[in-house]
Amino acid sequence: MRVGIPRAMLFHHYGENWLAFLEALGVEPVVSEATTGEIITAGAVHADNETCLPVKVFSGHLLWLKERVDAILVPRVISESHGTCSCPKFMGLPDLARTLSTDLPPVLAPRMDLGDWSYRWAREWYSVARTLRAGRLDSASAVAGLVTGVRRHKVRAKTNPESGDLKVGVAGHLYNVHDSRVSLGLLDRISSMGATPLTVDQVQPHRARMHAATLSRKIFWGYESRLAGAALHWSRTGSVSGILFVTSFACGPGSMVGALLEDQLGREGSVPLMTITLDEHAAEAGLVTRLEAFIDMLKRSSRSNRTTGREVATNSVGGAGLE
Amino acid sequence: MKIAVPRMGNLSLIIRDLAQRFDIDYLETPPFSEQTMETGAALAPEFACLPLKAVLGSFVEVLEMGADILLTGGGHGPCRFGYYGEIQRRILEREGMEFKMVVLEPPSVSFKAFHDSVRALIPRQRVRLPALAREILLVLKKVVVFDHLEKRALALRGLEAEPGAVGGALKEAQAIVSGAFTRKEIDAARLEADECFKRVPLERGRPHLKVGLVGEIFVVLEPFFNFDIDRWLGKRGVVVERSVNIADTVYPGGRNPVFGFTDQAVAKAAFPFLSHEVGGDGLLTVGATVIFAQRGFDAVVHFLPFTCMPEVIAKGVLGRVSSELGIPVLSLSIDEQTGRAGVETRLEALLDLAWSNKRKSDKVILQLEPVP
Repeated sequence: MRVGIPRAMLFHHYGENWLAFLEALGVEPVVSEATTGEIITAGAVHADNETCLPVKVFSGHLLWLKERVDAILVPRVISESHGTCSCPKFMGLPDLARTLSTDLPPVLAPRMDLGDWSYRWAREWYSVARTLRAGRLDSASAVAGLVTGVRRHKVRAKTNPESGDLKVGVAGHLYNVHDSRVSLGLLDRISSMGATPLTVDQVQPHRARMHAATLSRKIFWGYESRLAGAALHWSRTGSVSGILFVTSFACGPGSMVGALLEDQLGREGSVPLMTITLDEHAAEAGLVTRLEAFIDMLKRSSRSNRTTGREVATNSVGGAGLE
Repeated sequence: MKIAVPRMGNLSLIIRDLAQRFDIDYLETPPFSEQTMETGAALAPEFACLPLKAVLGSFVEVLEMGADILLTGGGHGPCRFGYYGEIQRRILEREGMEFKMVVLEPPSVSFKAFHDSVRALIPRQRVRLPALAREILLVLKKVVVFDHLEKRALALRGLEAEPGAVGGALKEAQAIVSGAFTRKEIDAARLEADECFKRVPLERGRPHLKVGLVGEIFVVLEPFFNFDIDRWLGKRGVVVERSVNIADTVYPGGRNPVFGFTDQAVAKAAFPFLSHEVGGDGLLTVGATVIFAQRGFDAVVHFLPFTCMPEVIAKGVLGRVSSELGIPVLSLSIDEQTGRAGVETRLEALLDLAWSNKRKSDKVILQLEPVP
């Protein structure tokens, strides 16, 4: 029995837990290949034209898996932590997946509601385990493993390419930023221009939470709240020279959080902020030009600050807040 | 202290009632216009959905007219609507305007938050809690009556013998209900308003289509954005029923007194296609489409603002609903660029399709029945 997991969206957060769950059941997990141009095109053709880029990428991965597996695991992630919810797209993802093609293998859609401290959602994973023909004991232990796994879960900060003292905060969803095809190699490009990119997963969750809590209205989307908290952390501690806000075309929460960050950081007099919108048309030249201009500007301002004696890094003690 | 509230369908009637009841100084928001949309779209974030832009433009207009308190709705997600107030406040402050933004939290967030936001407008000294609760329940009752009148008008407009008769009756009925404040008066007004509709001459035997209207509440209710779909369909002899109403949204307990199907019934109908709440009106859109299909409607029109998150999911799922239940569904995504001609052409095509389906199925029935 082969069960597929699309390498898209929240796979970049919980992929390890999901894989461990499937392995504990004794089924063979199949993860789709790293995103390619064909995957994005297939997704953009088959998915609804108004959905956001990550959903189109996800659809492409799902179609890639279609011929290769007996079932596809698409967990329905309802919330990231207590008192938050996730974007509606995550809540309806399995249902969108089922509409993609008529000859799709069964889509397994157990709920994952991390804000629910009584773990009622674990029951759904148990029944998924049973439909995958695992024994009662194996299923129970796999579910228990999953629950402890996500409870202790930390998105393991991926090591980003380092170069130079100039640090740039990349405030974007992990599934966009860590997918080098979707982000057009954003992180590598930044480092090849002589700056070190920092991503949201490198900011400790409690720091992000603390800074997000200072906003005048709570952001109710969990992942976006963390993202905004990380950007505020970078800006307030001065641990980066500039912030790139990376969003994708038609991203709903992104449109709100982007406007919010722009305003909040503007009021606080923060480091420069630039917004980059990714879409499936992959125009590299446009991205490179804007990145170069942004990083050149940061370099110049840090140089001029140094000559006037105002060290940019004076208040960057908070840089120790990075994992 | 002038309060302004965004427009949406017959919300303005309700606001007028509330203002009279609690003696609030309020400013009537002007209807949406091209100018409103232009102002809103220029200030709002690019990918924000249409209601945010429209309401923002409207807020600029009322602030220029002299309002100083803006009242808007809240919520705790996952729909973007819950964050509108905050973004709009920040944008308007950046533009240098002076005002106070009051975000009315729905009781589902927390009852205290709801009470606090009400008290920001109606101080405790003026109206005590028992009186406040009593009056709010009466307003709720009135909201249901208003929406029932609209529902009736939608159902009758396609059958009216002389054009505009139902519209006139609706206006008359709304005026009667607007003047009723106590429980007894509202009950009496309701009966009297029913009489207005009974007087309208109808051609009941006329062959007609039945079309369901689903989608995001703002674009479904606001005639400026749906190109006055109610009247447009009515003129073409179509009987319309819609799934979203203000009364159903504010009525506690998910009873949906106007649509007539509880939240549980809607979720059950939607389950094979969309098995989880997705925020906003997404689940209702899918559930109502299934219900309309089961009740033998000829077509469903789905209105959504461009990039609306819950409705985009619904739109994706509706394709499957349409093919499995055999009901034509037209999804129309509306933004500030949408043109009337494009929408009307597609609607005409939908009606043609529905007519040809209907004739085909009628023929089948005719063949089965013995010819007299």
